[in-house]
Amino acid sequence: MSKPPVAEMKASMPPLNEAGQTTASRGFWAESWQRFRRRKLAMSALFFVAFLALTAVLSPAIVGTKPIMVRYKGNIYFPAMSYFNPRWENEIFFRDGFRMHYSENLKAKDPRSWAIWPLIYQDPYRRVREGEWPGHPGNESYMPPNRHNLFGTTHPGVDVFAQMVHGTRIALLVGIVATGIAAVIGIIVGALAGFFRGAVDMVLSRIIEMVMCIPVLVLILALLAVLDTPTIWHLMVVLGATGWTGIARLTRGEFLRLGQMEYVSAARALGFGRLRVMFRHILPNSLAPVLVPISFGIAAAILIESGLSFLGFGAPPPNPSWGTLLNAGRSNLQMWWLILFPGIAIFLTVLCYNLIGEGIQEATDPKLQQGRK
Amino acid sequence: MTSYLIRRLFFGLVTLILITFVIFALVRNMPGTPLTVDLAELDPSRQISQEDLERLENIYGLDKHWSLAYVQWLGNLVTLDMGRSFREKRPVTEVIGERIGPTLVLSVTSLFLAYLLAIPMGLFTTVRSGRMEERALSTFLYMLYSIPSFVAALLLLNLFYVRLEGTVFQLPLGGMMSMNYTELSFTGRIWDRFMHMILPVFCATYGSLAYYSRFVKSNMEEVIRQDYIRTARAKGVGSVRLIWHHAFRNTMIPFVTLMGLTLPGLLSGFVILESVFTWPGMGLLFLDSITNRDYPTIMGLTLMFSVLTLLGQLLADILYAFVDPRVTYS
Repeated sequence: MSKPPVAEMKASMPPLNEAGQTTASRGFWAESWQRFRRRKLAMSALFFVAFLALTAVLSPAIVGTKPIMVRYKGNIYFPAMSYFNPRWENEIFFRDGFRMHYSENLKAKDPRSWAIWPLIYQDPYRRVREGEWPGHPGNESYMPPNRHNLFGTTHPGVDVFAQMVHGTRIALLVGIVATGIAAVIGIIVGALAGFFRGAVDMVLSRIIEMVMCIPVLVLILALLAVLDTPTIWHLMVVLGATGWTGIARLTRGEFLRLGQMEYVSAARALGFGRLRVMFRHILPNSLAPVLVPISFGIAAAILIESGLSFLGFGAPPPNPSWGTLLNAGRSNLQMWWLILFPGIAIFLTVLCYNLIGEGIQEATDPKLQQGRK
Repeated sequence: MTSYLIRRLFFGLVTLILITFVIFALVRNMPGTPLTVDLAELDPSRQISQEDLERLENIYGLDKHWSLAYVQWLGNLVTLDMGRSFREKRPVTEVIGERIGPTLVLSVTSLFLAYLLAIPMGLFTTVRSGRMEERALSTFLYMLYSIPSFVAALLLLNLFYVRLEGTVFQLPLGGMMSMNYTELSFTGRIWDRFMHMILPVFCATYGSLAYYSRFVKSNMEEVIRQDYIRTARAKGVGSVRLIWHHAFRNTMIPFVTLMGLTLPGLLSGFVILESVFTWPGMGLLFLDSITNRDYPTIMGLTLMFSVLTLLGQLLADILYAFVDPRVTYS
């Protein structure tokens, strides 16, 4: 690695203030963040993930057929929010028989209404018909990318771009929730095993080994088949409940190591309770190595979700998911836009989480830094 | 060592029973039975009568509660009887046995290729660490690693099956051999098999290539800083001999562990790829048996995958003690 040695030295020396006295040196996390920021690839990966998160949150405002904000019969509504949860659709629109079609119905039923529309008028769940929107010819099935369908359309004429923008929500949510569950279980199990040692460690380690042997794909497929209406949440729980072993092992190792340190003995000698020592004194110091498998775990969870949707075992069909688009592309191989765009999206997301994980590893692992000098 | 082995085997057995119990419970509670799934495909006029259905359920043991059926399944297992496949009406061992070959062809070829290419690449990136060519290769491999195999498979099929249709470069859509395989000459057969293998093997290999070469590199980087390497260099050992003989040989321990851990993947690692290329292996069989609710086959495969995972871990640990005399389990 070509790094300016001067900057390296400056960073490692305590900063001096104007009077020439040393100020308090930065903490471990600030120091690590400094090192992380210097890695261009990891930083661009972080920006990309932030961009994805923004896309996910703003998806109904970017592309949709429901107005972001509407004034209808004297009241203000936000129909676009129902893309997040169908139950958030205000019942006045059901009563007035809108049936999800806002553009024609609004003017017809209340001439004085006004609305703020999403940037692009397309829908991730249904085809946009002719005459629905001024200047829009309506979607046809299997259109290659064009002016109205940026990424083309699928079989029933549903816009691919809309599905991809709305699919960002599922991809990010699966990654973060599944890995979040795994992290909580893994850290708790690992902390207990590493802190109490002895019999507790023995039992928990055996449990870790058992869970490691579960064929995850078998379990997921069987579980999704048992449920009458499998949702994306079930998938996240299964992924989380089986994916925690790596994190638990690492946490256990860190707790075993840190438990030997003088500062932990000091904390105990001061009479702090076990929980306080575990979570206030040891955990923050063992968190850095655990962040690495968490970041890789998010990438893996996104991969599994898209793989399952690709096989047709994922979230039920109306849900827009990148893997579902690939599944459509599988039976229509000549329609490259059904493969290329979601493929790139999955690839970039997985790549970025891997790069972030790598960046954290290099920024926080003292062994790797010694090697660089 | 012996007591360690016995203890490990005992825990392995307990693990197996627990896993198969959970999967058995899940599988038996899936909506639909093999009989009804089969019936749904028939036209409604040929519906089976209720008495016949009950008679069949009795024959196949589907009328029992699943916990009783599980005990029975375990009991049969002791006599190495895994039951008969509903779908194929043959013993499960036979059905699974047929599929092992194709999967091994795919996985062993890809594993062999991955090691063959990854070790030189890993050594190259260690030697050239930090230079332009190393950065380029490492970045390229890293990006390859992040492309999901099913995305690559679909893109390659779009290119080689759809776009290059009619040219000499066209590759088959899937399967292991062409329809006219039996009419081909001996060399023709080999060529046919080869053409069918190109895409699946490529998709199965490229990801692990990046993984293994990074693995080699990270282990080499640790070894290459050791004092004995400096000593060897000071003694005037040539760079090739230094890297291969002095450094690489000392990274074999983690390598051996890795090999143990890849063992289960040899048979279960390609579920999605086999499905894309309709490669008649274990993965495809597994997906098919889930959609057909073929309970005995699902259980047989689950058992096999779990046994392999356990064996792989055990093997890794034993090999670890074998290659590294510092490790003992007594």
